[in-house]
Amino acid sequence: MKKKLLALALVAAMAMGLVACGGGSASGSSDAAADDAAKTEEAAAPAASGEGDIRLVNGKIEVDAALKAAAEAYKAETGVTVAIESMGGGVNIQDTLKGYFQADNMPDIFVCGSDADFGNWTGKLADLSNEPWAADTDAGYKDADGKIIGFPYTTEAIGLAYNADILEKAGIDPASITGPESMKAAFETLDAKKDELGLTAVIGWCCEAKDLYWSTGSHSFANYLDAGLARDDTTYSDLLAEGKIDEARFQKYAEMIALFNQYSDPALLTSGTYDQQILGFASGKYAFVTQGSWIGATMTSDDAEQYAAAGNFKVGMIPYAFDEGIDTILTNSPSWWAVFENDNTQKAKDFLTWLAGDAGQKFLVEDAGFISPFKSCKYVANDPFAQTITDFTAAGKTSSWHWLKNKASLDQNVLGQLYLDYALGNIPDAATFTQVVSQQIAAYYAQ
Amino acid sequence: MKTNTAGSKGLSVILMAAGAIMTIAALALDFMGNKASFRGPLLVIGVLAFVLGVYLFPTLKHHRKIVYVIFLFPLLFAFVVTVIIPLVLGIFYSMTDWTGIQFTKFVGLANYAAMFKDPAFIWSVLMTFVFVVINMVLVNLVAFLLALLCTSGLKGDGFFRAAYFLPNLIGGIVLGYIWQFVFNNVLINITKISWLVQTKTAMLAIVIVYVWQYAGYIMLIYITGLTQVPKDVLEAASIDGADAKQTLFQIKIPMIASTITICTFLTLTSAFKQFDVNLALTGGTGSVPNFMGAYLTNGTQMLALNIYNTAVSKNNYSLGQAKAVLFFIILACVSLVQVRISNSKEVEL
Repeated sequence: MKKKLLALALVAAMAMGLVACGGGSASGSSDAAADDAAKTEEAAAPAASGEGDIRLVNGKIEVDAALKAAAEAYKAETGVTVAIESMGGGVNIQDTLKGYFQADNMPDIFVCGSDADFGNWTGKLADLSNEPWAADTDAGYKDADGKIIGFPYTTEAIGLAYNADILEKAGIDPASITGPESMKAAFETLDAKKDELGLTAVIGWCCEAKDLYWSTGSHSFANYLDAGLARDDTTYSDLLAEGKIDEARFQKYAEMIALFNQYSDPALLTSGTYDQQILGFASGKYAFVTQGSWIGATMTSDDAEQYAAAGNFKVGMIPYAFDEGIDTILTNSPSWWAVFENDNTQKAKDFLTWLAGDAGQKFLVEDAGFISPFKSCKYVANDPFAQTITDFTAAGKTSSWHWLKNKASLDQNVLGQLYLDYALGNIPDAATFTQVVSQQIAAYYAQ
Repeated sequence: MKTNTAGSKGLSVILMAAGAIMTIAALALDFMGNKASFRGPLLVIGVLAFVLGVYLFPTLKHHRKIVYVIFLFPLLFAFVVTVIIPLVLGIFYSMTDWTGIQFTKFVGLANYAAMFKDPAFIWSVLMTFVFVVINMVLVNLVAFLLALLCTSGLKGDGFFRAAYFLPNLIGGIVLGYIWQFVFNNVLINITKISWLVQTKTAMLAIVIVYVWQYAGYIMLIYITGLTQVPKDVLEAASIDGADAKQTLFQIKIPMIASTITICTFLTLTSAFKQFDVNLALTGGTGSVPNFMGAYLTNGTQMLALNIYNTAVSKNNYSLGQAKAVLFFIILACVSLVQVRISNSKEVEL
């Protein structure tokens, strides 16, 4: 009898365990959300409070604070809580979102950066074509049917950034660099005066393949696709979609890369990091740096001390003129915010409308440092590159970012490594580089 | 068990039936997307009622078995939910064009065919096997030597044990980034060009980091084995005039044969599953100019990383899933062989 009592007691204990587990499952989703959102302490609270609030997954961790401030202001105005969940620094956002989707924990607004990203969510995103802001910008993301499904929040530019002070001291007018010959001449002049100007190298250019593949394989490669073309010219991205490259154009581009490889800092060329590259430029050790306008934020925050020590020099951009006549820099919205189709869709749309309006733009431009894609915006970002982007845009000398249409992770899986091989000398010259890139792209697109 | 009456039988059946109905109703509600908050309690009460019904079922013959099953149930349930169901789903997804969100059609074995035609994947498999063999030898050798050192009556051997074991406590990702810094910023002064950028030296770098991380752990197991060698045997050997070398090879190593088996398989399986150091140290980069007629850009990418990369970065979840199934088969074979060998050794002892 005692045994039986004991057994019954154990069964009861087990049952309690089950009940506890079952009870847990009811609140399981919010717990999971809290865990996942642990990076951003605020995100946990709205996930628990449930209905009536919206959640935004942001891909630019550097503007987390500014977005939270905007969300606070929005709450004060309308009473709707917007939870900002920021991801960055190597988090694969699309993959995390897929996890959220499986866990029935989708955010209402989330970041999408390319055709492949939007392709993941076909049929699950809200149509934003009729939103009030849609007429105020050309930068909204349009799907295959021409419907706007992505909200543009900033503008970024890819161009060859230069240190205006150093070029002036070396007697080089950036406007005079219009093609491969003049670029080579400028590089040689700077190289000869390196010691006098306090330069470590002419150009900050890194080809490391593990962490910087996106810089070479996407942003630099983008110049082959778009530099010098009209914004709606898709010649080379259409060709790429078939797995082909224009070898004559690419070879000219490859020769420019050879020039970069030759005049870059050998200590950083094959194993440098983004931070080292930008720090070198901000400290005035390079006359030029690859990358794009986003480095302005790094220069004025992380590297502010060195930048001040180097005299807060003026910066600007010139086109990557690998062929005579290329006179555009590439500007685009680097990623968009998409609205997930669910019960909260209208609230999410209202928030985006508010962000596109005067009050929201003040936060996005002045606090987050975004360069507004909206025509009606009257704020100017306090960014070293804001002026040069405005100038190119006003002159109509901008091209688009068709590299966003590249096949998923082309940069990480193929191109990043090839640029590194080229820099290492594993690939000896521009002609071979062109051949290898051509074959590899064909193979990757055939998969 | 004297209450073997029609009354208790009736109660038992009613409980079982009610439990089953409640469970099914709760699940059905959930599948239909109903958000009613009583789903959870309904499910739990249903399951409990069913279990109670089974427990009260008046049978003398099977009572014990029923109790065993009931006690095993939580474990079995957890095992099914976390292992069996994902395994079955995984095999299922590997035969579709699943994107991680949805799938539109079945493709049969096309994913399996595709992966064996891909030189990059075959390279990854080969690299993994090479890596496993090199590591099995190196880790065991280094760990055994360290264990000998730590059991040789050295002063402060406790400190050395802790020191050698310490790298194992640091996560592989962190270790990877630390060593990436070491290779790219410190050792570069000697090597001129970072070891991580060329495939051969990068593989060597992974081996070094992995041995550094894992040898301390295996060392602890060897120390346990070595300290369990009976003192009287060692004493008898020394009286018979055996020198240190003879003692090691004739006495100690045969006495710890089972430990060596365990360590060999531990290193084998963990080297197969190598992922975190690989991801953080090289990310699979490195080039191979000509392998099966292709120029490869995944020189240091081992099997686990290749699977991850296929699914996450190339956005091909179903192909990644197919590769994962192969990975499972390889590991299952290794484990089965291990269990067989360990069992036969135990019989010998």
